[in-house]
Amino acid sequence: MLKITNLHAKVGDKAILKGLNLTVKPGEVHAIMGPNGSGKSTLSYVLAGRPGYTVTDGKAEYDGKDLLSMDPEIRAREGVFLAFQYPVEIPGVSNKYFLKAAYNSLRKHRGEPEMDAGAFLKFIKEKAKSVEMDPAFLNRSVNEGFSGGEKKRNEILQLAVLEPKLSLLDETDSGLDIDALKIVANGVNKMRDPKRSFVLVTHYQRLLDYIVPDFVHVLSGGRIIKSGGKELALELEKKGYGWIEDKVAA
Amino acid sequence: MIKEALAAQKEGWRFTPGEALTGPRFEPAGMPASQPPLGGRVLCPVGFHRAALVNGRWESKHALLKLPNGVSVESLSGAGDLKALLAAALPADLPLAALAAAQAKDGIVVRVGRHVRVDQPIHLIHLAESSANRAEAAHARVLIVLEPGASAEIVEEYAAFGDAPFWSNVRAQVVLAEGAALKHYRVVRQGAQGRLTVALEAEIGSRARYESHVFNLSGYFAREDVRARMAGEGAEAHFNGLALLAGSEFADHHTVVEHAAVGGITRELYKAVLDDKSRYVFDGLIHVKPGAQKTDAQVYNKNLLLSEDARVNTNPEFKIFADDVSCKHGGAVGQMSQEALFYLRSRGIGADAARRLLVYAFGSEMIDRVGLEPLKSALADALHGRTPEAVEAKS
Repeated sequence: MLKITNLHAKVGDKAILKGLNLTVKPGEVHAIMGPNGSGKSTLSYVLAGRPGYTVTDGKAEYDGKDLLSMDPEIRAREGVFLAFQYPVEIPGVSNKYFLKAAYNSLRKHRGEPEMDAGAFLKFIKEKAKSVEMDPAFLNRSVNEGFSGGEKKRNEILQLAVLEPKLSLLDETDSGLDIDALKIVANGVNKMRDPKRSFVLVTHYQRLLDYIVPDFVHVLSGGRIIKSGGKELALELEKKGYGWIEDKVAA
Repeated sequence: MIKEALAAQKEGWRFTPGEALTGPRFEPAGMPASQPPLGGRVLCPVGFHRAALVNGRWESKHALLKLPNGVSVESLSGAGDLKALLAAALPADLPLAALAAAQAKDGIVVRVGRHVRVDQPIHLIHLAESSANRAEAAHARVLIVLEPGASAEIVEEYAAFGDAPFWSNVRAQVVLAEGAALKHYRVVRQGAQGRLTVALEAEIGSRARYESHVFNLSGYFAREDVRARMAGEGAEAHFNGLALLAGSEFADHHTVVEHAAVGGITRELYKAVLDDKSRYVFDGLIHVKPGAQKTDAQVYNKNLLLSEDARVNTNPEFKIFADDVSCKHGGAVGQMSQEALFYLRSRGIGADAARRLLVYAFGSEMIDRVGLEPLKSALADALHGRTPEAVEAKS
């Protein structure tokens, strides 16, 4: 599904990723953990194609294709989805219209006919229910005036509507209380299937109690310095990141 | 003469390229040789009450007036009894209104009687048609008088056709008596050589409500000077504006709202979208006079720049001579949010479509305020139609 080899990237003049390797197979859930400033968000943005992030070396293959040469919208249409740490407010664009435009651009890319407004409305109302979102949010401007938890839930609604093959969740747990976290985790768990993969970027182990990963990686200094199973997350929680960083440095 | 008059208005015309009016040698416009039917030439759908001026003269063949009792829409010649209003003194800083008053051959007079509610909107069409290959000008007057408790919706459409420079200059007066309510829409669609200047004076009585919307969709040059006087207790006024500008188009919204009585409310929001080398000027002054306590006023101007070469001069301003008031103002000039653009693209929406969507979202706030459904959808279409090419070229 995703094969990242020796990835180097910088933001402005600052090198952030320094030789990152990661392979994600279909159906797998990977957690990437690391201290602040280790490059977690940079990795998410580079994979989603955010302008301002420059890849200086290495590659990322998605389904055998060169992911990094695609425009952001093409990546999305090919099935890559980034759930933002800080979802953007877009006054004047209704959530409903936004979702329909996104959904139909994916269908068009796959050569399928666009869904009409009536059918789409029914479709997203179901999806909203599945992430326990009040349908009133569909008529509001995208993320405008939403609370932190509502914004994150709106990301999961988009995930449920667009049904990506590869989902990157950037600090989706940040700023959520325990009930909101459960709803978000539940939304993700419903999507898990043998053809879909997830990469969870997170600072804390908490999210992984609800979305149980197959693999856990520790990102530090722009590289993955340790990988393991879900038990690694618990160990990190207990000992902190310093423990591994010291070991690697030694 | 115009040159001198404008030169004397240093402050109010500082950022306005008056050459658009003083450059060409404008001759008085005659009636066009032929007149195509209205259908397709106006934005607003047919079916409303309708009256039209063509090159500043009443054209009865475009009129469609089956008015209920207590409502009249007529040519200026029928307004002999409104002498006082017609001769009302003009502020010295509206020289073009004085010119219109002196030169106008005709105009439209709308009157709505006491407690009459007009059954459907009244559509006033100002057609400018340059028939000759020379610069022409037409002057006209508009009078709208609502008696106590009356209510109406009026859509004025300024449409200009032809390739030669054409200048339409209008003096408009609105009088709302106690408890009257008017929704007043103005839509400006001119050709590449169209020039429009409107001086709009409004007198708003106690507990009367004036709702003004102006949409500049196209045209070489357009300036509107609003002078509103909140004359009675609890008068309420809303001023909304949207200018969509591209090429070397210019638009200018000048407003002066005077609060002269207790408890008046003003809400002003003007927006502009600027592409290419277009320019926009906003000047919004709210003047709270001594004794106008409990005035609640806001004036905002927000601008979206799509090009490095576009330019905005914005000046929301208050002069306050009362101590128990609530007044807020603000001006913003910004470019399209790159964050929002990336967010939309990351969901599969193409870069061009995403830009269009964001421009549309910026403008649609003003269109959402239009209560009149057929006009609202016509404006939404115009906004959709106006954004694509200009924006796509940038990708």
